[in-house]
Amino acid sequence: MKRLKIKTAETAQDESRSAELERLFLEHWASVYRVLYRLVGDPAEAEDLALEAFLRLYRQTEKQMDGINAGGWLYRVAIRLGLHSIRSWKRREHYELTAGRYALEESEQSSPADILAQEEQRQQVRLVLSRMNERQSQILILRHSGLSYKEVAGALNLTPGSIGPLLVRAEREFEKQYRALAQEE
Amino acid sequence: MEKHLTDGELRASLDGELETKQLHHIEACTSCQARQAQLRVKYFETGRLLSFLTPAKQTGPSAQKAWERFLREIKQQKEYSMTKRWFSIPLVRFGSMALIVLALILAFPGTRALAGELLNLFRVQQVQVVSVDFTGLEQLTGDGALGNQFTELISSSVNMQQEPGEPLAAANADEASQLAGFNVRIPAGMTPSQINVTNAAAFNMTLDRAKAQALLDETGRSDLVLPASVDGAEISVNIPASVSIAFGTCPKPGSEVSGNTEQSTTQRLYPDCIILAQIPSPIVNAPADLDIEALARIGLEFTGMSREEAVELTSTVNWTSTLLVPIPRNATTQEQVSVDGVTGTLIQRPYIENPQFALLWVRDGIIYAISGLGLNSQKAIEMANSLP
Repeated sequence: MKRLKIKTAETAQDESRSAELERLFLEHWASVYRVLYRLVGDPAEAEDLALEAFLRLYRQTEKQMDGINAGGWLYRVAIRLGLHSIRSWKRREHYELTAGRYALEESEQSSPADILAQEEQRQQVRLVLSRMNERQSQILILRHSGLSYKEVAGALNLTPGSIGPLLVRAEREFEKQYRALAQEE
Repeated sequence: MEKHLTDGELRASLDGELETKQLHHIEACTSCQARQAQLRVKYFETGRLLSFLTPAKQTGPSAQKAWERFLREIKQQKEYSMTKRWFSIPLVRFGSMALIVLALILAFPGTRALAGELLNLFRVQQVQVVSVDFTGLEQLTGDGALGNQFTELISSSVNMQQEPGEPLAAANADEASQLAGFNVRIPAGMTPSQINVTNAAAFNMTLDRAKAQALLDETGRSDLVLPASVDGAEISVNIPASVSIAFGTCPKPGSEVSGNTEQSTTQRLYPDCIILAQIPSPIVNAPADLDIEALARIGLEFTGMSREEAVELTSTVNWTSTLLVPIPRNATTQEQVSVDGVTGTLIQRPYIENPQFALLWVRDGIIYAISGLGLNSQKAIEMANSLP
């Protein structure tokens, strides 16, 4: 992943900082949005959260932030925002309505019963992710979004060699939490 | 025999992330194969469940469109920040009614002393909102030479005659009415969590045309020429006592709230707080020959309005009865609404993290403002319409 080279936001550097920010935005927007859309299931919410992640990056770059891994930083913040959003009861209720609507819109062939069943599964998976240790959720989300071990490691400030063991633990925890949730219901 | 692989290595093999040498070991080791098979079951099951999150089709704005929205957000934030800095300057604090509204909209609903900070107007009978680009005031709010020059100009111009002091707590509307000296109204069916009364204040202002013009020149606006009638003009401002009525969980009067992080915190701490502020019109005495319209036009032009726009606006305003409230051009929206039997202005700040609203109107010589956090501005309208 590329390293962000932004120094303090002095007037003389504003222009280059702005250009660097635009480059980073255009480079990472799609992937950050995609991860959030997968996580929260509502395109409008995903867009807002992705934008918020970039706004936080912008605020960070106003301080001294030499050498920050912008892509990794964005992934971490975006997933944190997404998980926080899911944890909110009111928002979860909102997701159940909006995500169900989008599921219906997206599905062209499935029966309403199938769509409902799939939506329930989605909600359960999101709930389980929101209950897990944040680092473990991040690893699962990033890996299952298609990132390589090297990319996941870069995003989370880990070594590629540590991803395998962490995935094993995360998947065990995911299964444990999923079973616990099933028993609750 | 080589050392067996760890679970992590076996897991990596399922993702194709293992080195060839270790893969050869698995091919030859039945023990590792058995453990890999167990991990594979969990791997498939987790993958199956997480695949439910994969959208059937990818939607969402293009990066370019998102970037444009991002730039708008940045501009709003910058303007928001600049507006707060502008209205934290001592002079403006003592001199601007707008501070009340901006404190309501931008800082936090009515937690600060509301009465002591009003603008040099005559007697307010109506409110007119004007959009201003506060980012243009950056030079005057900074710590540089211009900022210092501006602060000095203000502090040398303003002479406080009566300080409002700390807000006083009142137990109910009757007590607040007694303390404030006017009939305080509370929405029917609502119980306040706090009622605070801020005493009256008064100050004089003596204008120094030479200094003020030098400041305009320094900022590169020598095209804006202050009228001769400004020089030495004395303006006296009397600000009546005001009342701030809080509903829900609200911070205590005098709480300082500033910056985006604090705004987030405030939103979490006081999500249901709504403040209703009431204040009789301030009374301003100014020399008869002081050209208020020209001063207002210069002020509007200085904050980014074109000359034509400024002339059009100032020529339609009755300066003896209208309170001109500046709001950030990009960070807020406004609309006219019918409330409390009159026409009010609903100002909203549709910021992603901390949306805010304020409803402003004047009735029977009393200025009212209801403000809160969030998007439920309808609540303010309902409150205004339920005033007795």
